[in-house]
Order: sequence, then structure tokens, then C-alpha cells
Amino acid sequence: MKKFFVDIYYVWWNELKVVFKDPAVILLFFIVPLAYPLIYAYIYNNEVAQHVPIVAVDDSRSAKGREFIRMVDASPDVNVVARAANMEEAREMLRREEVYSILYLPNDFSKRIGRTEQVPVFVYADMSSMLFYKASVLSVTEASLKMGADIRVSEMEHGTQAQDEASMQAVKYEWIPFYNTPNGFASFFVPAVLILIIQQTLVLGISTLVGTHNDRKTFTVASLVAYGKNVNAVGLTIGKAFCYSSLYLIVSVWILRVIPYIFNLPQIGDPVTIMAFVFPYLLAATFFSMTISYFASQREFSMLLFTFTSVLLIFLTGISWPWTAMPGALKAIAYIFPSTPGVHAFVKINTMGATLYDVGFEITVLWIQTLFYCVLASLMYRWWIRNYDPRFKGQLVPGK
Amino acid sequence: MNTKTGIWAIAKREFRRMASSKICIWGIVFAPIFSLCLLIYMMNAGLPTKIPIAVVDLDNSSTSRALARQLDAFAKTDIAFKSLSFREAREQMERWEVYAVLTIPRDFSKDATSGAQPKLVFYTNNAFLISGSLLFQDLKTACVLASASVGLKTAEAKGITESQIMPVLQPITVESHALSNPWLNYSLYLNNMVLPGILQLIVLMFTVSALGCEVKAGEGSKLMNMGGNSIWKVMCGKLLPYTAVYMLIALLFMSILYFYNHFPLNNGFVPMLAGYFALIIATQALGVILLGIFPNYRLALSTASLIGILTFSLTGFSFPIQAMDSCLYAISHLLPLRHFFRIYVDQALNGLTIGYSAYSYAILLCFVLLSFLFYGRIKDFLSENKYEE
Repeated sequence: MKKFFVDIYYVWWNELKVVFKDPAVILLFFIVPLAYPLIYAYIYNNEVAQHVPIVAVDDSRSAKGREFIRMVDASPDVNVVARAANMEEAREMLRREEVYSILYLPNDFSKRIGRTEQVPVFVYADMSSMLFYKASVLSVTEASLKMGADIRVSEMEHGTQAQDEASMQAVKYEWIPFYNTPNGFASFFVPAVLILIIQQTLVLGISTLVGTHNDRKTFTVASLVAYGKNVNAVGLTIGKAFCYSSLYLIVSVWILRVIPYIFNLPQIGDPVTIMAFVFPYLLAATFFSMTISYFASQREFSMLLFTFTSVLLIFLTGISWPWTAMPGALKAIAYIFPSTPGVHAFVKINTMGATLYDVGFEITVLWIQTLFYCVLASLMYRWWIRNYDPRFKGQLVPGK
Repeated sequence: MNTKTGIWAIAKREFRRMASSKICIWGIVFAPIFSLCLLIYMMNAGLPTKIPIAVVDLDNSSTSRALARQLDAFAKTDIAFKSLSFREAREQMERWEVYAVLTIPRDFSKDATSGAQPKLVFYTNNAFLISGSLLFQDLKTACVLASASVGLKTAEAKGITESQIMPVLQPITVESHALSNPWLNYSLYLNNMVLPGILQLIVLMFTVSALGCEVKAGEGSKLMNMGGNSIWKVMCGKLLPYTAVYMLIALLFMSILYFYNHFPLNNGFVPMLAGYFALIIATQALGVILLGIFPNYRLALSTASLIGILTFSLTGFSFPIQAMDSCLYAISHLLPLRHFFRIYVDQALNGLTIGYSAYSYAILLCFVLLSFLFYGRIKDFLSENKYEE
């Protein structure tokens, strides 16, 4: 038993040397996790689309119409950059991408309000981005409700101030967005990306290591410990995993603690709870990476094999297309990967302030994945040793 | 030994290499098809429906129950719980069992009719931006309707005739027209760009690897000999077989997007086919440029995957590029997918005349012209035939 622990330590130490000797692995283990979160946070730092340029077409040419357009323009979301004479002119601006939506007031806008008739205003939005559509429809709706309330009061005849308010709005309502108060893109998207970066760089880095061993045919995976030491597959797997995980403990402080702090992402999680989550997540991700690194038969193949999965995995975490609306079969597939419970747990803890009890399910899943992938990775290394270890091949390399 | 030379011989050799290489079959054939199936299946509904919410009804009158029923009838909302306390509902929200909470205050119906202006408060979980904003729309509509139905009673009491009521309650209505995507279909919105994005990522990496692996296998100079030492012949023979395979993938994408899912294709088949073709050759050119800049297989490949992944964010189809830092806006023009996005919006989505997209097609072709400048360096790379780790 004592030998087992010494073996783990020995493998751990040797693997550290291998990691730091390989520039490709240093790039994937340290530079990419350092730089990527910065890039992503920088990309989404503005959080919301403000001042979306729109054009107004006021066919009524009335004081009421101009007032309405001013009210729309006052909203922070849109910016009425031009007033077009007719729809054709406005459409041309839309085609040239000078504006992203058109606000159209019909020619009887003011007249119909005066006659107590309902009057529609029209918004035509370009759908190249949902956010443009949302911004223009929301701000025009706000303006219509506000102006509508004023009109209603004057029609129902003024009473006391309190009565006026009640006829403006019989029932008040308030919207409180939880957890992501600026309702921003970074606060929603970047936490998931951070967790995924950890898993994907581990996959790429470990696959590069395995691919390199394959290329060189020096069988270092096993042979580093083969000379004089008889390390079994389980010891080898655990030793290596501890090496990678311990390095990633440092990396995850940067990714999960410093980055949200620098970029003001929601961060209300308890550091102790985050630690309790990080341990199983790193172990599960490491063993998972070691398992699938089996397929990396050349040094460069890790990229070709696994890069595209990042896109699918981010969708499978259910952060974009909401988890609740995802087909059951895909939910099952999603749970194969540590990133899914990882993102769920991290968003719950860090964005929503959940306690350890609330994320009990995710943490359990991560520990189960750790065990499962540990067994698979051990089998994978057993296969390695069987196939490549000089002792089994009967071709002990001379020297050393 | 293969003594044949010329473009055709190189192309035939390339097809054989592709068919016998597991990594090519996985990366070029399986990866895009798998992504296609997964994403189309995931978003098949178009819009998420029946998102669970909780209602905390402290009033429990017929008015408040009617409000809840009305809300439940909306397609996007599903009242999964009627909670007794806000605390309970909030805990359900933390466990992702519900994505929004609507609270109806005590004495809601009494206060509403007596003009005391009771307040409905709704909370959405905006850690999920999409479900958060979808639920916001439904909840807001429900609150406005509640206000209107109370206003209806008050107005009737004041002697306003029924035909006058709606103009009084809502003098101005907003008719919003989401041009070309009136269903606000998310699948249309995302898959039309995510799939070409995956294609760009794959094309970029496999162009680098197609040339890089020759040097790694020590066959660079042999390849140059096959091409009669002409880099043009070598590049044609090397890259055109891939172009053909990528076009087949693009056709598959188009058939699923435009024929199976009936997504808008307003200018017909040809402009988009040309768009995909331009995207593919521009991306291949970018791959060549990368290998020209970093004549090291691994480094060029790492850069290719870095660019390929960042493209998804920098194209601006999810978060608009205009809302990002202006420096990122400038960088985005170096990515073929950005120009493809413009072509897609103008040609497929909005159906503008080809003139509006001519500029984007031209830029994509410029990538190809630009790559010719790097052919000399690629020639050196192949002739030197030296693999660096």
C-alpha cells in the first residue's frame, strides 16, 4: 500500500517535468486559460446593445407625432438617427445597414388620438440580431404606454392626483431581474464559457501529451516509470491526474475568481462552496480528458479531434437554449460531459448564490463522473502499458 | 513508387489519403453532420415553450386566479407551482425548477377596483438570458391585461360606452414586424450561422493540417516533385479535393436549413450556394495564410483553432458586433464568416438585390488573392520538409 502512494508521488513529479518541457502543453495549460477569459470578457463587456440606430417615418407630421418620436429617442436602448420622408427612403437606410429598424407613424396618428380612436404605430426590425429587435420594440412599447396613459387621463376627465394615477394605471407592476441585474450578455454567457475553458484546455493539453508520446514511440507514458519501477495502471492514472488537477487548481483561481472580479460579473458565491465544487469538477474533467486522449494518435490531432466540440458543449449546457426546453435525449447526452454539471453548479453558486445543499445533485454527478472516468482512464493506461511498455514488448531500450 | 505527376495525380492521391485517414473522416465528415443533427434537433421547437414559473398568490380571489389562468394559457409560460410564500418560490428558482416568479399582493382585487393601485411584482431568472426575456414578455403582457381589465370596470362605471373602451384603455398600440423572421424562431436565428461557423472552423484547421501533415510525414519534397516543382499545381491538387468535399457538406447544410426546415431563402438557391462556396475558398485561403505566417504545423493549427472558436463571438450574430469595442469591430472583418454573415442576411433573410452583397463576395475572393502572396513561403515550407514539434 505504501508503494502505491510513493508511486503516485513519483508519477506526479515526473509528469510535472514532462508538462513544463513541452511548449505546446504550456500554451494550452497556461497561456490559453490566461488569455481566453480576458478575450471573452472583453468581447461581451458592453453587456447590452445600447443606442441602436433607428429611423422614424412620421406621416402625420403633427406635434403629437414629433412628441412620440422624442419619447422613443429618449430611451437609452435606441437612437433615432434620422427622420425619413417616406417608407422607401427608410427601407433603403435599412438595406444599407445605417439603421436596424423603422418606426412608422400613420398619417392620421394625431387625428385619431383626438377622435378617441385606437391608433397603431408600426415597428419594422431587421432580424440580423435579436437584440436590435428587442431594443426597438421595447422602447417603442414603453413610449406608447406612457403616452397612452396621459391620453387616458385627459379622456376620463381629471380628478384628484390619486384618481389620475389610478386611471393611468389601475394595477402597477414591477419587473425585477434576478441574478443578472443589468440583464447583460456577459453576465449570462461568460460564466459558462469560463467553466468550459477549463475542461477544453485540459482535453487539448492532455491529448497533446499523449499524441506526442505516440509520435515519438518512446512510450514515455509508461516507460518513465518502467525503469526499475513497477507502477501499475491505477497508480499511473491517479498520479498523472493529480499532476494536471493540481496545476489547474492554480489556473482556476484565475479563471473562476479573478476574472469575474475584474470584469464585474455577478459573483455572489461563497468561496468555500466554490472550492467544494472545484475539486470534483477538476478531477472529473481531468479523468474525462485522460480517457478521451486515447484517440489522440498524433501530437497535433487534439485540435482536429476536439475543438469543434466546444461549440456543441456550450449549447448542451443549456445556458443558451434553455435547459428546461431541451429534449430529454440531449439532456442525457449532456450528462456524459463534466462541463454540463460543472456549468450548472457554477452558475448556481456564483451567479445565483446557491448553497452546497442546493447544488448537491450536481456535485454528486461530478463525483460519479470522477469515479467512472477514473476507471475508464485506468483501463486506457492499462492498454497503453500492455501495448507500449518495453517490458511487455520485450524490447527494453538500452541505456539510462 | 508513384511516378505520376501533375494536378490530377496529386488530387487522386489526396482523395485516397482523405478516405483512408480516420481523422479526416471524423473531422470533415462526422463532425459537421453530428453538429447538424444535434443543433437542429435541440432547437426543433423554434421557440422554447412551457417554461415553468411559480405564482405566489397572496390574494387568492377570483380576479387573481383569472390572472394566473390567463398567464398559464400563454404558449411560453407554464405555471408549474402555486407557492404559498415568496421564500419557497425563490428556493425553487435557485434549484432551476422555475425560471420566474409572479407575486400577487394581498387584497389585490379589492385594491385594484378601489383605485389603490396594487402592485404586481415579477422576478425573472436572468442567468438565462433567453428564457428570462421570453418570460418577461409574457409576464408583462399579463400585467398589462390585468390593468386593462380593471380599467375596463372603472371606465364602465364612469359611463364610457363599450365601443370607446379600447381606445381609452390603450390609445396607442404597437405593431411590431420582425422582418423575415416573424416567428422569432431561434433555430433559424442561430443555426443559420452556427453551422457555417462550424464549417469555417473545420475548413480552417484541416487546410493547415493537409499541408502540415505532409511535412510531418516527410513527404513535402516528394509532393513538390509530383507537382513538377510548381507550387500552383501542388496547391490546386492539394486543396481542390477538400473544396469539393466541403461543398457537399455545405449542400447538406443548405438542404436541411432551407428545404427541411423551410428557413427563408428569399433570393433562391444560387446566391447562397455562391456564398457558401466563397466562404469555403476564403477560409481555405486563410488557412494557407496562417501556415505562411507560422511555418510550424502545430503553431499554425493552434492559431487556426483559436481563430475558429473566436469567430463565433466576433461575427456578431448573437451579440451584435456594433455593440462591442470598435477595435473588435475592425478585427471582425478579417474573418470570412463575418462577410458570409452579411451575405446571408442580405440574400437569404432579407432578399435584397445582389448589389448589396457584391462587396462581401468581393472581400471573400480577396482572401484567395491575398493567399497567393504566401505561396512562396508554403513552397519553402514544403521543400525544406523539416518538421518542428
